[in-house]
Amino acid sequence: MRQAFLDIWTIIRRELNTFSRRPIFFVVMFVAPLGFLTFFTTLMEAGLPTKLPAALVDEDNTHVTRQLTRILGAMEETHFVMQSYSFTEARQAMQRGEIYAIFRIPKGTTEAALTQRQPVISFYTNDTYFIPASLLMKDMRKMSEMAGLAMTRATMRARGFRDDQIMGTLQPIVVESHPLGNSFLNYSVVLSNLLVPGLLMLVIMLTTSYALGMEWKRGTQKKLYEMGKGRIWVIVFGKLIPQTVVYTVMFWLIDIIFYSYLQFPCACGIPRMMLWGFLAVLASQGFGLLLFEAFPGQMRMAMSACSLLGVMQFSLAGFSFPVSAMDAPFQWLSNIFPLHHYFLIYVNQCLNGYPIYYAWSSVAALLCIFFLPQLFSFRLTDAFLHKEYRA
Amino acid sequence: MKRPKFPVLHIWLDELSDIVKDEGILIFIILLPLAYPILYAMIYNTETQRQLPICVVDESMTDRSRDFIRRVDATPEVKVETYCAEMGEAQELMRRREVFGILRIPKEFDERLWRGQQAVVGLYSDLTSMLYYKVEYLAVINVAQELNRNIKVREHQSNITAREEELARWPIRFDEVKLYNSAGGFAAFLIPPVLMLILQQALCLGVGMSMGRARERFRGLVIPPTKHYKNTLEIVLGKGLVHFSIFFIMALYMAYCVTHWFGLPQLGHFWELVGFFVPYLLACTYMAIFWSSFVYRREDCILLFVFMSIPLLFISGVSWPGASIPQFWKYFGYIFPSTWGVNAYVRIQGMGASLGDCHQELLALWRLTGVYFILSCFVYMYEIRKSVGRTLFN
Repeated sequence: MRQAFLDIWTIIRRELNTFSRRPIFFVVMFVAPLGFLTFFTTLMEAGLPTKLPAALVDEDNTHVTRQLTRILGAMEETHFVMQSYSFTEARQAMQRGEIYAIFRIPKGTTEAALTQRQPVISFYTNDTYFIPASLLMKDMRKMSEMAGLAMTRATMRARGFRDDQIMGTLQPIVVESHPLGNSFLNYSVVLSNLLVPGLLMLVIMLTTSYALGMEWKRGTQKKLYEMGKGRIWVIVFGKLIPQTVVYTVMFWLIDIIFYSYLQFPCACGIPRMMLWGFLAVLASQGFGLLLFEAFPGQMRMAMSACSLLGVMQFSLAGFSFPVSAMDAPFQWLSNIFPLHHYFLIYVNQCLNGYPIYYAWSSVAALLCIFFLPQLFSFRLTDAFLHKEYRA
Repeated sequence: MKRPKFPVLHIWLDELSDIVKDEGILIFIILLPLAYPILYAMIYNTETQRQLPICVVDESMTDRSRDFIRRVDATPEVKVETYCAEMGEAQELMRRREVFGILRIPKEFDERLWRGQQAVVGLYSDLTSMLYYKVEYLAVINVAQELNRNIKVREHQSNITAREEELARWPIRFDEVKLYNSAGGFAAFLIPPVLMLILQQALCLGVGMSMGRARERFRGLVIPPTKHYKNTLEIVLGKGLVHFSIFFIMALYMAYCVTHWFGLPQLGHFWELVGFFVPYLLACTYMAIFWSSFVYRREDCILLFVFMSIPLLFISGVSWPGASIPQFWKYFGYIFPSTWGVNAYVRIQGMGASLGDCHQELLALWRLTGVYFILSCFVYMYEIRKSVGRTLFN
């Protein structure tokens, strides 16, 4: 046993030596994670996008419609960057990508409203841009609803109703919405919290197969095998522990910046998130190792598989488009990805603060992905002894 | 060896036969652009969340509260999975991820409405996905607004004609029109930009792999030591042409086959698409050639290029609104063809814009093509000098 640890230590020292001679390791281990962190947190600094550009087509142009547009202009999401009398002009601006929505008040609106002839106002959103379109649609709907209610309110006030009576008539049922865990609907909390760890996990998978495959490429696999005296676990530990340490530290750094510096909601406390981060690092290494065992000794194929599957896991993890909305085969497929399970644990622990008992299956899955390569270690032995790098 | 008559053609053929023989490169330039779009489109094919299970805590237990719940259940967005006696039970279901939202109707719901006061119903959404919140909120708010109109008309205004009733319901009518993606779906919004990104990333990976391979084969040089690899311009043109021609076919495959199979918006005319793809693919190709010159081992480029895809998607301003991207990142995004290409493609194909409407993007793409072409020439000039030096030395 003592000898095994000594061997691991020798391999670790050899690995560190390799790191120091290849700048690419520095880039992927330090520059890339810090780059992602800076990128996403500064990109989505606003949290919820506000003041989105929209166009106003006021064909009526009376004091009533101007009042209407002033109210709309005062709303959080809408910013009228364009005022026009022609709808075509506004549509062209939309096709040029200058605006996300058009609010149109047709000619005769005021007249119809005053004579109780039910005017129609319309709004158009460009739903090829999903987030801004949804946000603007919400604003415009609220505004249109309010405009109608305001007209009735004026009539009722004139008839001598009290304001509380009026509200009871106009809006008897009020919906109070409680988005749990992220009450400001901060997109940065939803996206940064998973994109940054997700990219880190992708990098971990890739470097795992890269570091192992390098041995075959340099033709040093036999030497490494002798250093480990043929014990696969000694070799794998020696090769991967330096990466585990570096990536875990990076993961923890991300946790500290998210939950301590940026004050993202964290219901379970930072130490707990660090533990899950460590588990995610291990599972990603397991995933990379598993793919390397699928293509033993063929670094390029293993890395190709890692990158193809690794990028796919961002879609299948379910934080942008929920897994429950996907077709059944993809719902099953999502279970093989570490990011999906990390995401479920994150929601359970960090966002909602529930006991980990409710996410035990995800914890088990991450452990499974970590231990699974053990079953196929005979393929590594075979690769060490018989496989050569193919250019 | 005699100098061939059309050296560009010769280099083109050389490179093509090289690529075809290498399975590592083939994965990235054939399999990736062919299969990935289909996979992605299949993931998002359902477009949106339907029938999301929620549970109801009905403390009021009246005719009116049941009516409210029935209407919520009838919306396409949510499904009332179960009823709970109290909030604790509902929370437990939420923790077990059996339901993703709780609708709570308070005890005094009906009484308050009869008294002509406002009654508040609570909606508690699981934020596992923002989409959950959106569909639940939409379903409940639509039902509430409809009931509000009914109450306003039936209970507070008597002795009115049908027309007056209609007017009381809707003093102002409003039309909401979702342009270019009428279902408000995910596939129609996310797949077109992803297609363009796949083109760029696959090009970068393919070119990077083939340059890395050349460096490994010719001991650090990216050009083979044969006679017709002597003129910078010819090499850059010939190499660019190989990848350009392959990816041009891929681009048409994406714009026509994938788009058609999955019913994505398809408003672009053929020549407009061609007018866009030419500068986009050229810019991508020469960017790939330029950046790849910094890659010394063929596997390194996988490590370097793969994870760029996700930041590039965000910087393009399609998923995160361009108007909210900080200045610095906006300028940073300008050096990648995908930033311009994604926007131009979405507008041409998704919104039926003409080339004139996208002139800004097209101009930028041509400029990028020029800049990266010149940079690639410099790279090859340097490489040729290096290779000549080495031949002399040997």
